[in-house]
Amino acid sequence: MKDNFKSATLIALQDIQLQTALDRGTTRAVNGRITAMGETTDAPALRQQAAHARERALNKLPDLLEQLEANVIKHGGRVLWARDGKEANDLVLQVCQQHGVKRVTKAKSMVAEEIDLAHHLESHGIESTESDLGEYIIQLAHEKPSHIVFPVLHKTKEQVAEVLHDKIAMPMTDDPERMTRYVRGIMRQKYLDADLGISGVNFAIAETGTIVTVENEGNNRLSAGAPRIHLAIMGLEKVIETVEDFGILVQLLARSATGQRMTVYGSLMTGPRRAQEIDGPEEFYLLILDNGRSKILGTEYAEALKCIRCGACLNACPVYQNIGGHAYNAVYPGPIGAVFSPLLAGVTNMPSLPHASSLCGACQSACPVDIAIPDMLLRLRRDLVQQGGQSVGWRLGMKLWQLGMQSPLLYKLGGWGAGVVTQVLGGKAGKITQLPAPLSGWTDSRDFKPFARQSFRQRYAARAKNKP
Amino acid sequence: MSDSTSSTASTTHPTAREIIMGQLRSAISGKLPFAHAEATRTTLSVTVIDNDPQALIERFKVEAERVRGMVYLAENDAEAGRIVIQLLAQCKARTVTCWQHLPVNLDQPLAEVGIQQINGAMADVAGTDAGITGAACAIAATGTLVLEMGPGRSRAASLLVPIHIALVRASQLVPRLEDYIAQQRADGLRVFTDTSNVVFITGASRTADIEMSVVYGVHGPLELHIVLIKNES
Repeated sequence: MKDNFKSATLIALQDIQLQTALDRGTTRAVNGRITAMGETTDAPALRQQAAHARERALNKLPDLLEQLEANVIKHGGRVLWARDGKEANDLVLQVCQQHGVKRVTKAKSMVAEEIDLAHHLESHGIESTESDLGEYIIQLAHEKPSHIVFPVLHKTKEQVAEVLHDKIAMPMTDDPERMTRYVRGIMRQKYLDADLGISGVNFAIAETGTIVTVENEGNNRLSAGAPRIHLAIMGLEKVIETVEDFGILVQLLARSATGQRMTVYGSLMTGPRRAQEIDGPEEFYLLILDNGRSKILGTEYAEALKCIRCGACLNACPVYQNIGGHAYNAVYPGPIGAVFSPLLAGVTNMPSLPHASSLCGACQSACPVDIAIPDMLLRLRRDLVQQGGQSVGWRLGMKLWQLGMQSPLLYKLGGWGAGVVTQVLGGKAGKITQLPAPLSGWTDSRDFKPFARQSFRQRYAARAKNKP
Repeated sequence: MSDSTSSTASTTHPTAREIIMGQLRSAISGKLPFAHAEATRTTLSVTVIDNDPQALIERFKVEAERVRGMVYLAENDAEAGRIVIQLLAQCKARTVTCWQHLPVNLDQPLAEVGIQQINGAMADVAGTDAGITGAACAIAATGTLVLEMGPGRSRAASLLVPIHIALVRASQLVPRLEDYIAQQRADGLRVFTDTSNVVFITGASRTADIEMSVVYGVHGPLELHIVLIKNES
């Protein structure tokens, strides 16, 4: 195993502040979603319609992308295509250089995170400021987001106050409202000084060439609307077919992500400002990124492309609730991240992630587009085995298990042997408190109970004999 | 179409688009990934709502105020004008940026109390105390305002100002987002050609980034006030 999931998890579990932040955050989010979805006309039917809207879009993905491109161009925008992160970063840099851009404000975008766009710009002397409150705190703290909707979920308000105090001289307070106001004051001028604003894309409506961003803070509208150039960046799977599909998806996104009926702002942007408009960007670029997505489409993992990044599966997941986002060590954490990240990076490079789940199904139940995450996690585990990602000991153990399970005699012998051995080890106390490695993995954190003296088969046979 | 990339920058990889398209086409050729989804169209509405005109007004007020959009019911245009002036007085506004062609003409009432109108580009209006806009429509089920930008209708008036005041007529209320979309469909989706920006506004700007506890007034306006005019002028 090349990744450090296990050790990162152990650290996370013992981080009391992280545990506090996760408890407070995920509990609120789960309750909000359940309430907001529960008051709809028919939640299961709506989820199915939303799922089908996404699936229809993926069925005709190349056609819809062409239609989207044509419509964006028709309204005066420009479309850039990038096969991978490097191409995308270079394209954005070119746009900046071409227009003499010195300062950029950036709204939240998971795709920008995926390709590490902000650092690329910074390393070429372009000042890039995160405008989302959470992302700004992350940027100041030189950290990575731990949640796709709430990037700073891993911090308590006390920790946030410390960052703002140390980095931008905020007077100490534990009141989130005062922290927020302080940052508002600083960001105001940044928007007006910026030459270019970068935003993500929640949905791209093919039939009109409209990109949609949803948000609560207003930073997205400001980043897209105040600078003279707006550059929106999207993964190619974000396209949808109709305005009606937008209507249902945007509502399920808000209800699933934050328990809101609608986000505070939903911006529909079609090209740059029209000739008679007073404000808005003079130039509009749409960057469409592949970065491995086109290779997923034709496979049994195509469903992962349905995701609308609401984060409901993260909040609902008992694993995420306990370890937070950073332990996954991937841009996309949580259940959908445990599928999507290995698909992008290659499962053998992230062998722990498909196992970072109890397969309880809470993720799929929470998903507004009904993605079968547990099924895909199982398939990834299978792929791992087929690609030889397992240790020699593991493979040997599975072989022995297979032998035992295929022969009634060996099965019986094994069961009898396990009973005898564990009874001896359990002794009078009737519990085993310490076992040698690798079995210590169990006894390190809990006792092991000996097997029953009589197996089920023995008892069944005895009962059958005694029956009148 | 494909020269869109090469026209923007000379060093753009000329074949990225074709390569991506080729991969996508071969991925779905012969077999759709989700054949079962084709028959379904989005038809079901998300929210339950009473369509009665009076019920729509009440629902809009409840929903908007739930998310800190304060709603004031005005019987007529004159009362609406008075409410706006009162709101501006409350926040001690000296300057406002206004949309042209508001449902109620405010030029005279504003001049009477000595409030100056400043209109123009974002940098020019950045320091104004309040913004006054109309709305293309208001959605009762979620307390949402729909603003369509255009000539005389700036983004800044609902975005860059600390106080956003919107004037809407009760006749502009629609039950749901789905109804607004149906109107646009009937109109040939013209709005997306005519304007670069349609915005749905539901309550005052807010964040829940710190421990998911809600704080109002982040980057957008700190306050949202909606004056709902019951009668036609």
